Amino acid sequence: MIQVNVSKQLHGVNGEFQLDVSLEIAQGEFIALFGSSGVGKTTLLRCLAGLEQAEQGNIVVNGEVWLDSDARINLPPQQRHTGYMFQDYALFPNMTVRGNLEFALRKGADKKRVNELLELMDIGALQHRKPDTLSGGQKQRVALARALASEPSLLLLDEPFSALDAEIRARLHDEVLRLQRHFSITTILVSHDVSEVCKLANRVMVMEAGRIVQQGNPIDVFSAGQTSGKFRFTGEILAIEPMDIMFSLTVLVGNQIVRVVTMPDEAARLRLGERVMLVSKAFNPMVLKLGG
Amino acid sequence: MNRLKGQIVAIDHSSHMSLVDVAVGGDIFTATLLETPESADYLRVGSSVTLLFKETEVSLAKSLSGLISLRNRIAVAIRSIERGDILSAVELDYRGNTLKSVITTRAVERLQLTAGDQVEALIKANEIALMAGHHDH
Amino acid sequence: MIIDWQPLILTFKLAAVTTAILLCIGVPFAWWLANTRIRLKPAVEALVSMPLVLPPSVLGFYLLLAFSPEYWFGAWLDREAGIRLAFSFEGLVVASVIFSFPFLVHPVQAAFQNLPRSLTDAARVLGKSSLQTFMHVLLPNIKPALMSGTVLGFAHTVGEFGVVLMIGGNLPNETRVASIAIYDEAEALNYAAANFYAGVLFFLSFIILLAVYMINRRAQK
Repeated sequence: MIQVNVSKQLHGVNGEFQLDVSLEIAQGEFIALFGSSGVGKTTLLRCLAGLEQAEQGNIVVNGEVWLDSDARINLPPQQRHTGYMFQDYALFPNMTVRGNLEFALRKGADKKRVNELLELMDIGALQHRKPDTLSGGQKQRVALARALASEPSLLLLDEPFSALDAEIRARLHDEVLRLQRHFSITTILVSHDVSEVCKLANRVMVMEAGRIVQQGNPIDVFSAGQTSGKFRFTGEILAIEPMDIMFSLTVLVGNQIVRVVTMPDEAARLRLGERVMLVSKAFNPMVLKLGG
Repeated sequence: MNRLKGQIVAIDHSSHMSLVDVAVGGDIFTATLLETPESADYLRVGSSVTLLFKETEVSLAKSLSGLISLRNRIAVAIRSIERGDILSAVELDYRGNTLKSVITTRAVERLQLTAGDQVEALIKANEIALMAGHHDH
Repeated sequence: MIIDWQPLILTFKLAAVTTAILLCIGVPFAWWLANTRIRLKPAVEALVSMPLVLPPSVLGFYLLLAFSPEYWFGAWLDREAGIRLAFSFEGLVVASVIFSFPFLVHPVQAAFQNLPRSLTDAARVLGKSSLQTFMHVLLPNIKPALMSGTVLGFAHTVGEFGVVLMIGGNLPNETRVASIAIYDEAEALNYAAANFYAGVLFFLSFIILLAVYMINRRAQK
């Protein structure tokens, strides 16, 4: 059980605001901190790891006090033993893959753990290479293995997947889930990717300007809305063209271009470049499996 | 998009789906939804809702007889027909509300539809979406 | 011609001692400068860089005053430790360290600043102390800068003239380094000897710098 209650003054792009968060996390939970950049997600993560100091509050992890501002207790990061995965992976360039993992072992730890992790992450073949020679996905695996090598009580993932392309990202998501369950380690992920959060986390906390404004099961949180249509995308209108008695709209959704058909009176109310929401009932879309 | 204002008069639901009856004028429309009163606050008997359905989902029938699985059948009058090469838009009067149906021009000819005809409009329950409150646009 | 090797040996002895001291003081200092947030940082940086812009004679003059037993610092040293820095090899070492300081500190400080902050963070999270982080993570990753800083400091000491002339004079075996010897021999119209010292310095300096650039080029690949 992890109890967190911290506040800290932050300097954002739009002026000062207060990070003010309280949360409780059960052993083995996978939590996602979701929100746009600059709302304090990474700062919260760094406060948990001890890399930044909360001005006020307390952090108690499995009964051990990490922070208690009233009692002037503030464990340094060295004594907190969190597993932290940085956005830029922060692999030590002077050490090999194996060297990075061995450096992460706690004093007196069995070196077998390194072999186990190399095998688990399927990076045994890379063990004698330096980080600079690895691809993004490989670095990511090494960084995850290194974070786990120190037997952390809490795994903190700071947008580790954002720099990877979709296919590798999806594979690593599976990997993270597998390892998280294997070690049943309590995990906090910072992300601004809805699909990632839905796939990985069992609870999402939506953050805005330093506060948690909403939390719950990711699918429930993200699908809350008014219309009973369950299928919705927002996009930008690229073209409006007459088509027989109707009009065809070309809409950019994400990075896909789709066409939808509307009535002339609806088309007349729309302008190029405007943002629209495409809604469909859950019954309509047909589902085709990809890749055979 | 066709819009009709109504009030929820009955809700049947299982764990993930609901069948919602909405009274519009004297008719009852039925919509199937992947939502339940637990997951959506506006699903309450007595709530005001707007029915939404696309013009292309409205079928037209003349002197229809026999049994049909379709839940939503309403009597309408044709106000005008705009013919295109493939599709035609049929403007309908339903208890003073305007509805539109887009069907093939071929069907307009086969049914010999003309302005002033009394016909039946048919909408499948799973093509109707509900929106909380009354919205014009 | 009888060649006196003493000035050359003295030059390289001075450069070696100076560089060793520079590394011990300069590297931790560069790390401190790269990380400090004190307000006086610009003033400290300006002071460190002074030898780059001042004529060596200015620095030499003030050091001469400081080292002289006539004034308080020199007098105190003489009284307490019996050390006289003016016109001695030890005095030259102190002056050279001060004079070559920016040549080592600048590249090393820049390298520390260019290391991603996350490397230090990662080491701390993994339970490593500041010293462990410094020795195992930071230092090994600034090797090229350490290398060029060391060589620049060494080479610069070899080439020093003005400061030595001001505070060292021209005492054989004590302060008569190669650069002074060249000046001295040329003054005495002894061009063959001057040419010899000058040639050796020219050749060795070129070799040292060539080695640095070649190593840097390989490191960039």
